[in-house]
Amino acid sequence: MAIAGDLRIFNFVDIFQVLRKDKKDGILVIERDGKNFAVYFKNGDIVYIREVQKVFYVYLDVDFEAVLKKENVSKDEMYNILVARLPHFLNVKEGKFSFTPGFIRYSPDINPQIPIEKLIMYLSRQLTPEEVERKISDLNLVFEKSENWEETAKKAFLTDYEKKILHLIDGKNKVTDIISMSKINDLIVKRALYGFLASGIIQREKKKERKIGFELTKSLLNKIISKIKDL
Amino acid sequence: MAEKKIKIVTSGPYAAGKTQFINTISEIETVKTEAKTTKAGEKEKKDYTTVAMDFGRIKIDDEYTLYLFGTPGQSRFDFMWDVLGKGMVGLVVLVDSTDPATFHEARRIINYFEARYPAPFVVGCNKQDLKGAWSPEDIRTALDLGDDVKVLPLVATDKESVKKVLLTLLDEIAKHI
Repeated sequence: MAIAGDLRIFNFVDIFQVLRKDKKDGILVIERDGKNFAVYFKNGDIVYIREVQKVFYVYLDVDFEAVLKKENVSKDEMYNILVARLPHFLNVKEGKFSFTPGFIRYSPDINPQIPIEKLIMYLSRQLTPEEVERKISDLNLVFEKSENWEETAKKAFLTDYEKKILHLIDGKNKVTDIISMSKINDLIVKRALYGFLASGIIQREKKKERKIGFELTKSLLNKIISKIKDL
Repeated sequence: MAEKKIKIVTSGPYAAGKTQFINTISEIETVKTEAKTTKAGEKEKKDYTTVAMDFGRIKIDDEYTLYLFGTPGQSRFDFMWDVLGKGMVGLVVLVDSTDPATFHEARRIINYFEARYPAPFVVGCNKQDLKGAWSPEDIRTALDLGDDVKVLPLVATDKESVKKVLLTLLDEIAKHI
């Protein structure tokens, strides 16, 4: 199944959210005029970034050791190179992206050193008002903390503002309540909520009760189910 | 005896396949309120678009009829969401699995209905038969949905596929009766 699209519409925060969720291994390729990036993921975290002139070069090696050899990089140097390349990569706002799951083989000693949650929060702090509207489109939304939220929040390196906002998320407060109670600018609140959602610190409130706008009985519902089955 | 109308709403972004979904399952030819597309970016996808609502009908018995209403896909027609949201028993949100640009709009629709008309709902990931389709699980994450929401593969031209989505919604409704 594909994970592909246009970066202008589906940004890195959105992409990282999907890759983080199932702790995906694979290669994310960003194609843009003259400069392509290949980003290597292990367990949903970035382990390495390389620039390639032609995209097909990325798929010549199925073993990550061979990639490092071609790049003339030792395992000890990987972290410094990743940190040096990361700002250039994260600054890319346009281009086509595609993620190929699996494909690359990692040895057990290759381990991610920058949690993806930290990158998600870093990028969320730069989202435009139009971008935050994509997730936080309604002031009446209610969120709750996810299971293991403390562990995830630790990896995200939250600012004091973000910690204050997170403290107000309790499964009852609406976005509008959080803005007024925190006395923090609404764009900052929405950016934080966007980042919390994408990094898995919070989730949509799970509704226990739902409203059915009709006096529906079990027997009538069963009648409808039989009718649909017979169509 | 006066007919009693049971309402299910089908919503989703522009060109997600809402009219097709209703058309595939309805016992009558879908009643459409269409106009020629004129906006750039929309014309390339289809020639006509829903401007008020579509509806299809399934007669349950002499007393009850199930109506499937389809909302217009563009946000400029979102006033119709209120009209259609009132009194619905359930909601089907469709997304075009091949076009992640539409996922944001689908999330906005879910946010709107969840905040105002929190009826049982399911998500149908349409166009799963096409190349480049995202998996329902990845779409679930992209839409910020938890595992409490059913996110299903769908091919809106296929009757069995549409039936499966509707039956799953009815199972969800059953949990709240």
